[in-house]
Amino acid sequence: MTAAVLFALLFLCMFMGMPIAIALGFSSVVTIYFMSGDSIASMGLKFIENLTEHYTLLAIPFFVLSSAFLSTGGVALRLIRFATAGVGHIRGGLAMASVLACMLFAAVSGSSPATVAAIGSIVIVGMVRSGYPENFAAGVISNAGTLGILIPPSIVMLVYAAATEVSAARMFMAGFIPGILMGLILMVAIYIYARIKGLPSLDRASAREFFSAAFSASGGIILIVIVLGAIYGGIASPTEAAAVSTVYAFLIAVIGYRDMGPLKEVPWRYEGENGLGAAFRNTRQMIVAIPMSFFSRDVQKVVLDGAKVSFMLLFIIANAMLFAHVLTSERIPHMIAETITQMGLPAWGFLIVMNILLLIAGNFMEPSAILLIMAPILFPIGLQLGIDPIHLGIIMVVNMEIGMITPPVGLNLFVTAGITGRDIVWVVKACLPWLSLLLMFLILVTYVPQISLFLPELIDSLRGR
Amino acid sequence: MRQFVDRLEEGVISLLLVAMTLLVFTEVVMRFAFNAGFLWIQELTLLVSGWFVLLGASYGVRVGAHIGVDAVVRLLKPEVRRVVSIVAVLLCLFYCGLLFVGSWEYLAKMYKIGLELDDMVFPKWIAHSILVIGFGLLILRFLELLWKIVKKEQDGFALADEAKEALEELDLRKQDRNGGADQ
Amino acid sequence: EPVTIKFSHVVAENTPKGQMALKFKELAEQRLPGKVVVEVFPNSQLFGDNKVLEAMLLGDVQIAAPSLSKFNKYTKQLQVFDLPFLFKDMEAVERFQQGPAGQELLNSMTGKGLLGLGYLHNGLKQLSATRELRSPKDADGLKFRIQSSDVLAAQFEALGAIPLKKPFSEVFLLLQTKAIDGQENTWSNIYSKKFFEVQEHITASNHGLIDYLVVTSNEFWSGLPDDMRTELDGAMKEAIAHGNKIAEEKAVNDRKRIADSGRSTILDLSDAERAQWVEAMKPVWDKFAGEIGQDLIDAAVASNN
Ligand code: NA
Ligand code: NA
Repeated sequence: MTAAVLFALLFLCMFMGMPIAIALGFSSVVTIYFMSGDSIASMGLKFIENLTEHYTLLAIPFFVLSSAFLSTGGVALRLIRFATAGVGHIRGGLAMASVLACMLFAAVSGSSPATVAAIGSIVIVGMVRSGYPENFAAGVISNAGTLGILIPPSIVMLVYAAATEVSAARMFMAGFIPGILMGLILMVAIYIYARIKGLPSLDRASAREFFSAAFSASGGIILIVIVLGAIYGGIASPTEAAAVSTVYAFLIAVIGYRDMGPLKEVPWRYEGENGLGAAFRNTRQMIVAIPMSFFSRDVQKVVLDGAKVSFMLLFIIANAMLFAHVLTSERIPHMIAETITQMGLPAWGFLIVMNILLLIAGNFMEPSAILLIMAPILFPIGLQLGIDPIHLGIIMVVNMEIGMITPPVGLNLFVTAGITGRDIVWVVKACLPWLSLLLMFLILVTYVPQISLFLPELIDSLRGR
Repeated sequence: MRQFVDRLEEGVISLLLVAMTLLVFTEVVMRFAFNAGFLWIQELTLLVSGWFVLLGASYGVRVGAHIGVDAVVRLLKPEVRRVVSIVAVLLCLFYCGLLFVGSWEYLAKMYKIGLELDDMVFPKWIAHSILVIGFGLLILRFLELLWKIVKKEQDGFALADEAKEALEELDLRKQDRNGGADQ
Repeated sequence: EPVTIKFSHVVAENTPKGQMALKFKELAEQRLPGKVVVEVFPNSQLFGDNKVLEAMLLGDVQIAAPSLSKFNKYTKQLQVFDLPFLFKDMEAVERFQQGPAGQELLNSMTGKGLLGLGYLHNGLKQLSATRELRSPKDADGLKFRIQSSDVLAAQFEALGAIPLKKPFSEVFLLLQTKAIDGQENTWSNIYSKKFFEVQEHITASNHGLIDYLVVTSNEFWSGLPDDMRTELDGAMKEAIAHGNKIAEEKAVNDRKRIADSGRSTILDLSDAERAQWVEAMKPVWDKFAGEIGQDLIDAAVASNN
């Protein structure tokens, strides 16, 4: 009964257009206030606990802020140039390069819509100009963009790790092979399609252009090395690495690429300036530029944009935890768990039920909120059935990827619709053939645990001597 | 005056985010390069994040930073939609009101017992007072929103979706690109 | 209408604490049929250790069992259990806890609204690190993860080591990548948290204690009818005894499992080596004698004989 009221209130509030955070929070506090014995003071306590006791979640604002620096500065543009120089000459190569660019960007950003926004806004137009059908281009990018949360770092994985106390670093490691595999599957599908339909190819990039592009993109690519190196090389935990990456992204945007801030338009070397002089000048300018960027309008704007997305997400999460708290204190997960356990499902059957449950949820809700609600329910059952917690996490992340491109609530759909200026129905149709690819991929990941577990287990065995 | 307060709010929120980042960054650098640590830094970072989120939440109502589903209300006739929106804002106010009262009672208890933070010698009720400040500000923002809807200045929550934002950014970048012809 | 007792803890159901909670539920509901319902919430499902005491004061949780270091901000007296090399073995711990001084400590927080119902054992702490810790100077300059406690910070500072506070969720990773060099914990925690897989050297130092305090709200407990309180108290005593027995077996088994894994080497200290550690860490006692009370420390020392 309580559960029915809780969910009914949630959906009612959501469809009334309330912010999702408050729809979650409202249904929770009302259920508590009117239907359970808990004090409302405990809601205040729970809220501050949600906000100040989850250190791992801090990685979210840090990655959001570093993404803000990267996509506002021209890092995304440079990654695309590099990817094009690499595979642009193959038939359908520009589309493949876009997928590759999405994979590269996914490896520095933790969010899927951010990936689509950063890469898609540039390449969809480029593909159409080079003679690709627009719906093809839109479909490819919306799908490849979902890799943002599968290839580490990933905000969604951090949320899963926080909800289940599984190691975030192991989750990150586990995402690598599935992420690359999905990228490859997309590329193969593009290649087949390109052969059949006769899609265009670009001229082979000169070695000079390739290396120049690689050099220009290296600032962005080094970030991947820094984040992963810091985590796996023993300097920092994922949360700390996220903070380090934010500081790096700021430095690369303001000092390195000079896309914003006090050094904007200031060249590394003026014409006719001698090397030593330029070195002195640059050093002096950099030292001044770092404190001065606090007063720079465009740096301020990037930070404020990052802040908006960050507090919005953390506020949703704090309320989703309140929702989860009500679920647990009313023992609803236990009841669903008992129902599913009493169904006597074997592991494979449970996985089907779980996937269906998550896909339905993915239609309506944001991944972090879904995981915060569902993971505590599904995790213990999965463990009981002998499913590896890391494998379970990857399955959930792939489900969340699909949720990004399913209507009515699919952030990638919205971004793509915005970029192309088309309506949602058109975008949904464009994504449909690629969606079926993702569904096949989900089945593959679900029933071949080795795809997810190979890398973490390999690293364990290497470390285990 | 109003504009000054707005700018101040934006500045404080941005500074809190920057402070969080620099606190964690400092911790890593101190540990890695100087073999030193601070026992209070984690608690302080999390506290700053709490203030950041709750101050941000009310600011977010003003600038429409919160995401939501407005696909359904968009199907409604304007008058019906206005009524639905008014009801929705009233529900939001109810949520804020309950949490405001709950937070007040919680803080009062902490004050009465005189409990301190775990790692810092500082009263808990002051450190956590952002609960009543945050929900108090949210109440003000929603009252303001309610007034605007009643006066027909706004027809619902000005919900941002990430798509719209990405678009705006794209437009900016296009302008940049068209403006700077030398790329 | 039966009285509902919410028992909130932060570990899995198959641990000594988890088993103790379930035993209490079984006994309480059996002895007071229809009068009491005990709901056990494991795995921090309801509240984490840092907030559960506050929830108890608000009346939303009735029983919890956080580790003794979590009561720092409620009473300084319980810090006595954090002092290094205070007890020579678990028998001494038990004698002290069951003796008059230990029983009086249960009432030390009634002013803040909390009442101790009994002590639940985890065990004695061992030191682990990336290098062998044979004498105290081996720990010099190493970074150790500690629970939030002034005494424990002072203990590592006395060794010339750097105490760090990190959330439990990140400790394994930081140890694995050697961002943190060592930590202190009981055999069962080192085993269950898999720290032995990433720490090559464990010194069987038995230098300190991790125990839990089963605690309730004063207001709730004194509000119960007398006969009910007596029954619940009896059930709790029995459940704690049950949990302690499991904890004792677990400590022995987990030490053996760690040794058998071959992932870490276990170093037993000779009497002379142990004396060096005692000498290095014992100055901490004086530092906190004022806050804790010298008579309490003396009573604890006396329990060793
Ligand atoms: Na990513
Ligand atoms: Na969706």
